[in-house]
Amino acid sequence: MDAGAAADGSLAARAEPGAGPSHWLHGYAAMVRWHLLSLRLWAPAATAIEILSGVGMVYGIGLLAPHLSARGALYATTGPAIVALILLGLILGPQLVAQEKMAGRYEYTLTMPVPRSAAAFAWYTVTLLIGLPAAAVTIAAGVVRFGVSLSVSAQLVPALLLGTFAITMLGYALAHAVSKPMATMLITQVLVFVAFGYAPINFPSSQMPHWLVEINRALPFLPMATVVRAGLTRGLVTGVWVSYLVLAAWALGSAWLALRALGRRG
Amino acid sequence: MSCRSCRDSLGLTMASASLAPPPAKSASGAGTGLTIERLTKIYPNGVRANDGISLRVDAGEIFGLLGPNGAGKSTLVQQVIGLLKPTAGSIQLGRFDLVDDPDAARQLCSYLPQAPVPIDALRLREAIELSGLIRTPARRARREDVRRRADELIDALQLREWERMVGTRLSGGVRRLVGFAMAAIQPGALTILDEPTNDVDPLRRRLLWDRVRALSDAGVAVLLVTHNVIEAEKSVDRLAVIDNGRVIAEGTPSSLKSSERGRLRLQVMLAPGVETPPMPGFVERHLRSSHTLLAVIPEAAAADGIEWAQRLLGDGIAEEYALGATTLEDVYIRMTGRVADGDGTG
Repeated sequence: MDAGAAADGSLAARAEPGAGPSHWLHGYAAMVRWHLLSLRLWAPAATAIEILSGVGMVYGIGLLAPHLSARGALYATTGPAIVALILLGLILGPQLVAQEKMAGRYEYTLTMPVPRSAAAFAWYTVTLLIGLPAAAVTIAAGVVRFGVSLSVSAQLVPALLLGTFAITMLGYALAHAVSKPMATMLITQVLVFVAFGYAPINFPSSQMPHWLVEINRALPFLPMATVVRAGLTRGLVTGVWVSYLVLAAWALGSAWLALRALGRRG
Repeated sequence: MSCRSCRDSLGLTMASASLAPPPAKSASGAGTGLTIERLTKIYPNGVRANDGISLRVDAGEIFGLLGPNGAGKSTLVQQVIGLLKPTAGSIQLGRFDLVDDPDAARQLCSYLPQAPVPIDALRLREAIELSGLIRTPARRARREDVRRRADELIDALQLREWERMVGTRLSGGVRRLVGFAMAAIQPGALTILDEPTNDVDPLRRRLLWDRVRALSDAGVAVLLVTHNVIEAEKSVDRLAVIDNGRVIAEGTPSSLKSSERGRLRLQVMLAPGVETPPMPGFVERHLRSSHTLLAVIPEAAAADGIEWAQRLLGDGIAEEYALGATTLEDVYIRMTGRVADGDGTG
């Protein structure tokens, strides 16, 4: 049987577009595979860079402030992993999409016969696979460096999943909604600077001006740090449920914007 | 140029001109074909890229879309595949309205874009199989079927020696063939091929055209976008020429060429740096592109044409010439006022 005849054999199946959960799951699984194979060289490198930046941050804080209080040590232990996850979500996706746009390959990705939500969720899954091992190593490095003991609870799972989802979708939405790749890169760089320099993640909010903390409460970075810390420590952070709500709002808004951008026709 | 090479060239041209065009398929499959009606696309900057285009591609038919750069071909394709929304008009694939349902468009149409496919880190075989997996409906996605179809395409396109090589190490032509295989492995009801033979070597071009024909034989409607008029003439069942966003001609290659009956094409390769020589009275029209001078003359003036070309050779103005039957390219030039791009010109 030649290729043409083979095509004929399965042609009838494509006379009707797929729909429903099995179609979604099939598209999702195929796209996860597509991304992992496409990133077979980059994914391990990205995890390594995540670990290097996270562990580097841990030891950098230790050098800057060698005599941290117990509370400060908990912040320094848990903060770098959260910052590294934020950087991953805001940089990796937008950078890859920008590269595709500049190489003229973006169009092909958009024509793949996969539900937009399945494609977005596949990218989120890949981000988790790259980011979570690095986060675990970074936190372990903090524990070793500062000699703290953490109280890990089941709450850590939804906190990491929701936090990473919100940040990844924010990056994904910017990557797809902003047509000019350079503009996307600029916006994500600004957000990275905000997360790095103007968000109380590696230190307590009390060390930051009140008005800036209030702004941060409405942005996704501080709420993500709060919910993840609530899953790693006991009694360190307050306002956890409000943080979950703010994070959920960012997650939904970003996902909506990403799907809208993916489905937009000029 | 020697008389022998002149005859060879003439013979080749005549041979290709005498190839009967593939028989047009009956309209019985039109129910699952593509129907575009009064399609208009006006961009926000006011450019009217498509202006009331209507055309039909039947199931089992290879339909060529020809036109110069900026004619509106890509805009048309992007509306079919769901990347652009028409300003007005309809696009129907079987009973599916692709304007209202771009998701259906992505599932029912396979697409080889003109830009390279994003397979840098994928191995050749992986890329084809993955595309097959993504494109095959969930209920039919059996890994072994996808693998078997990938094998068939790899063999048919003679890609076996590179099957484990990653995209970055593949030549442009091989990548192009991989892109084709990624579409052909599960072609859907409509396959859109945008310049499929770019960078592909002559041997594999033939293999590629065989596979395109196999798709149409299997009942797939094939929309072929190309600049290469000479290849299109040999490959398509019907074609449309578009220019400035409008269809300016449509029909089988033979029907379009019928307007050129009784004429011959005299192709003269000019020496580098020479001015275009004055045209003798029997030349009906001519066009120069780089070193190539294309002139259309009446059949009755064949002897005069050869004598004139020999004189150009003798004066050092020309390096070689060929006289042959008019081709679709001559029709194309007459309609658009431009020589087709691609490598068929020379």
